Amino acid sequence: MKLSYLPGCTLKTKAQDLDLSTVAAMEALDVELEELPRWNCCGTVFSFADDDLMHQIAPVRNLIRAQEQGGDKLVTVCSFCFNTLKRASLLVKENSDKLDTLNTFMDEEEDYTGNINVVHLLEVLRDEVGWDQIEGKVQNPLKDLKVAAYYGCTLHRPKEAAIEPPNKLEALNDLITALGATPVDFPDMTTCCGSYQAVANPEIVINRTREILSSAKESGAEMIAVSCPLCECNLRENQKELGELRMPIIYFTQLLALALGVDPHLHQCEKNPADARSFLESKGLLAACTAAE
Amino acid sequence: MGYPESLKNLIKKIEETRPDRVEKKKAGIEIPAMTLDERATLLEAHHPDCIPGTRRELKVGPSQGYAVAHEFADLLESKSRVDPDKVDLSQIDYETDVLVIGGGGAGTSAALLAQENGAKVILTTKLRHGDANTMMAEGGIQAADKLWKDSPGYHYIDTLGGGHFSNVPELAYRLVNDAPDVLHWLENLGMMFWKKPDGTMDTLPAAGFCRSRLHFAGDITGAEIMRVVRDEARNREEDITVLEFSPVIELILNENGQCAGALIYNMETEEYSIIRAKATIVATGGSGRLHIQNFVTTNHYGATADGIVMTYRAGLKLKFLHTLQYHPTGCVFPEQLEGLLITEKFRAAGSHVLNVDGEQFVYEREPRDVEAAAYIKEANERGKAVPRPTGGWGIWLDSPMLELIYGEGYIKREFPGKCKQFGRHGIDISKEPMIVYPTLHYQNGGVEFKETGETDIPGLFMAGEVGGGIHGENRLMGNSLLDILVFGRIAGANAAIYAKEKAQDGKMSLAHVNAYNKEVEEAGIETEVVSPMLLPNYIEKKVRDRQHSSHYVGNIR
Amino acid sequence: MEATETKMIPIYIMGKRYEVPEGLTIMKAMEYAGYQYIRGCGCRGGICGACGTIYRKPGDYKIYSALACQTAAEPDMYLTQLPFFPANHVPSNYAELEGVPEDIYKLYPELFRCVACNACSKICPMDVPVMDVIAYIKRGDIEKAAFEAFDCIQCGLCTSRCFAEAPQFHIMQLARRIYGGKLAPKAKHNAEAAQAVREGKFDAMLNQLMSMSTEEIKKEYIEREIEPETAGDDWKPKDAKWLIEEFLR
Repeated sequence: MKLSYLPGCTLKTKAQDLDLSTVAAMEALDVELEELPRWNCCGTVFSFADDDLMHQIAPVRNLIRAQEQGGDKLVTVCSFCFNTLKRASLLVKENSDKLDTLNTFMDEEEDYTGNINVVHLLEVLRDEVGWDQIEGKVQNPLKDLKVAAYYGCTLHRPKEAAIEPPNKLEALNDLITALGATPVDFPDMTTCCGSYQAVANPEIVINRTREILSSAKESGAEMIAVSCPLCECNLRENQKELGELRMPIIYFTQLLALALGVDPHLHQCEKNPADARSFLESKGLLAACTAAE
Repeated sequence: MGYPESLKNLIKKIEETRPDRVEKKKAGIEIPAMTLDERATLLEAHHPDCIPGTRRELKVGPSQGYAVAHEFADLLESKSRVDPDKVDLSQIDYETDVLVIGGGGAGTSAALLAQENGAKVILTTKLRHGDANTMMAEGGIQAADKLWKDSPGYHYIDTLGGGHFSNVPELAYRLVNDAPDVLHWLENLGMMFWKKPDGTMDTLPAAGFCRSRLHFAGDITGAEIMRVVRDEARNREEDITVLEFSPVIELILNENGQCAGALIYNMETEEYSIIRAKATIVATGGSGRLHIQNFVTTNHYGATADGIVMTYRAGLKLKFLHTLQYHPTGCVFPEQLEGLLITEKFRAAGSHVLNVDGEQFVYEREPRDVEAAAYIKEANERGKAVPRPTGGWGIWLDSPMLELIYGEGYIKREFPGKCKQFGRHGIDISKEPMIVYPTLHYQNGGVEFKETGETDIPGLFMAGEVGGGIHGENRLMGNSLLDILVFGRIAGANAAIYAKEKAQDGKMSLAHVNAYNKEVEEAGIETEVVSPMLLPNYIEKKVRDRQHSSHYVGNIR
Repeated sequence: MEATETKMIPIYIMGKRYEVPEGLTIMKAMEYAGYQYIRGCGCRGGICGACGTIYRKPGDYKIYSALACQTAAEPDMYLTQLPFFPANHVPSNYAELEGVPEDIYKLYPELFRCVACNACSKICPMDVPVMDVIAYIKRGDIEKAAFEAFDCIQCGLCTSRCFAEAPQFHIMQLARRIYGGKLAPKAKHNAEAAQAVREGKFDAMLNQLMSMSTEEIKKEYIEREIEPETAGDDWKPKDAKWLIEEFLR
């Protein structure tokens, strides 16, 4: 299977582990993620103003790029890219006048027809590959590993753009199960990490991190799996001050790669005082992957 | 758009001979290069420098009696643009350690090195910073830096051979010796040399050189150099002040006979200002826009010999100014691209030059003057050049054959700029040849200066095309981008040291301009010309004839 | 060549009508009309960026761009030159840059205001894909940005159209310099040669050559071995007379 893929800027800079582990793991699942030959920043944050079409140009231009590739899906793994692109795609699908305006403005591009389905990688794993298939391909079952599935804000909000009904947090849990680990439910699975407040109001993010980590820990988790580079960064960077609450943070794609026996690209996590690499090593889960690395 | 039918038919002849020529090229079979004697005979008969009646002996100034082209003589045998008596030299507008006149590659590298040696610098330039022939140099820059097969020694021998052994040896020495270091400097400033994956710089052979040592950045090497050094000068804005649209009209000397600054002219407000400087560097470039013998030129708009005029008035001698370089491959079709330089890299890479019958008549890698003379001979004597639809002659430059030698896509990859420029006019140079003819390209000589950048006037330094002697009577490809940086850096560093150690205070004076004006009068020269020229006038004659205002009328000229 | 009568066409320079001969570049057409350039004209060869020109055609909403020195004047085009556009150049200490994308982000944070409107690429007279270059920089791909922006002549037209108010041509210049000086592999052979020069290793050789008579140097010139055109870097000359032994391979 070949799918168009937009990694997003952060996955090419700060969150390269997410990009590399994604591509490696999907290859092991016989899914070729074909990076769009041209793409630009997704727009980062979906613009709420109804008439602010200027900020829909970036996401819609990316949808045109996907359309040029001939497929009907565009895969993303960064939660922010997913949210921005998905909501833009829905906006223009439901508002033909807005689509017309955007198409007329982008007169140097082919018209966007509104038919690209933006999907998150978890959806691909669930709907295109299937949990059973994944389970069957696991080389390195993540036995005795208790992982808190942290979805963050943007995979389930708003409900029109959610990967599954917001009251049913399943995809990440199911994946963790398929990989042989134990998913841990906890009260803050969709609590916002504080997001961009990290720049202006860092104390908000520290408090949120404390809340999320303590609730995960109290629920019995040993590590937290995330899909969003900003969540990963906030939860990792802010736990230095949090002493006993410290906990390894890992991208779900790194867990997937690890279980599939391919390079999980564990680099960034080493900046965490509780780093995922040494933790997984202590659990004896890295041996199978040392060869792959 | 594209070539007209008449030329398309002629191109067929080239296509007929091409397969055979390419085979020979691949097998290493070349048509023979000329011997030194053959070159000399050809040059004497057909090079524009040798045409009788195109030069005259100067009646005034330090090189009185020396014959230069009429267009130079007209400027030198004229009075200053400014009346020195109107200038109040006690009103200093700018003070600096080092004044650099000219914002091209030589001036900018001089400014950088002067700054690095502790000087505060003002760089003043006639147009924008970077409006210079440096920007237009395409092919590359020479340096012997592959020492397992090359050395500055071979570079020296080549350079002297190119200059017909007339070069000033001390200048040629510095040129070739400092070359590798200049490239190292550029690399460390962030210039994008074309390289192999292991970092080895790509090099090409070039006419007149025995080794492949032409380094390049695409086909816009000069522009890349200019962009980089200009950006670096802008980074140092605290120490390097740039004054644009402010050409120097005259140098200012002091009572000790030192150069003490310059009089600049704001071309937009028409106001004159005075810069006092402890040391001054003239880096004003060349003179293509004088259109010697009415030749089309590849030079930028401001190449009008201003530096020659101001330094000659101040007392410096001319050197090799009787020789000019006619670049053999200036574009002559389509008309919109007339004067556009077609880089020698095409010939360096092996493009044949062909006459109207699609035949080779000269080896494509002769030195520039020889190559140019051969084209002129093919047109004027043998009548076998290509007739241009707009009148005049041209020679075919067979670019498409490079695709056959180096593989499809070579032209687009190596000559992206040229592809774009011709593409705009419907000509695909990877499939169709270009029409070229010699165009006025470079001032081989200029004003006398030393390998230290010094001149006979203390405190006055020089670098770049304005100086004469490095290249003798003929410059080789890629030696000029080198020369501006080698001597720009030397002049910059030495001027900063001079400013610190040797400059003296003294009463400033323009007496030398008065004296020169008087000399012109006494020589009985009657002329309406004032100089420096600053810019050529391309306004249509019909309009000029009706510009009736005699002087300023109110505030409108 | 037979003389044909030149066809005259109307053009509108900043709104005022002039008749000029067909086939002239915009630059020559303006000079024909009587304009004497001070600004707006530089190399006259399409590389200096002085003559950026904006024009429209009747009955067409689009803005077109051109280099006045490279583009033929068309009937009824109405045009203005844009010889200058303010764009902040942020000085940096180049030697101290680390060669990372953050070098650029710190100096030009406004590049993140880009909304991908593409007005920059559309107006670029050199067909630089400016928007894509900014996108490459945002995703940290300096090498790609440097090569894609290599043709930039810094005319400033992109900046004049930028919705994000970013000085793209300065940003691209910085990207090229970071690539060229800090990311591209270094030329070891050149560093070695530069070092040799600084140590004066060629002084003796050059002094010997410099002291030769014209006849002697002519002999060297005639007899010197010529590297074959297609030889490549592995070529070994037979004659090593003016080579230094320690550098031979």
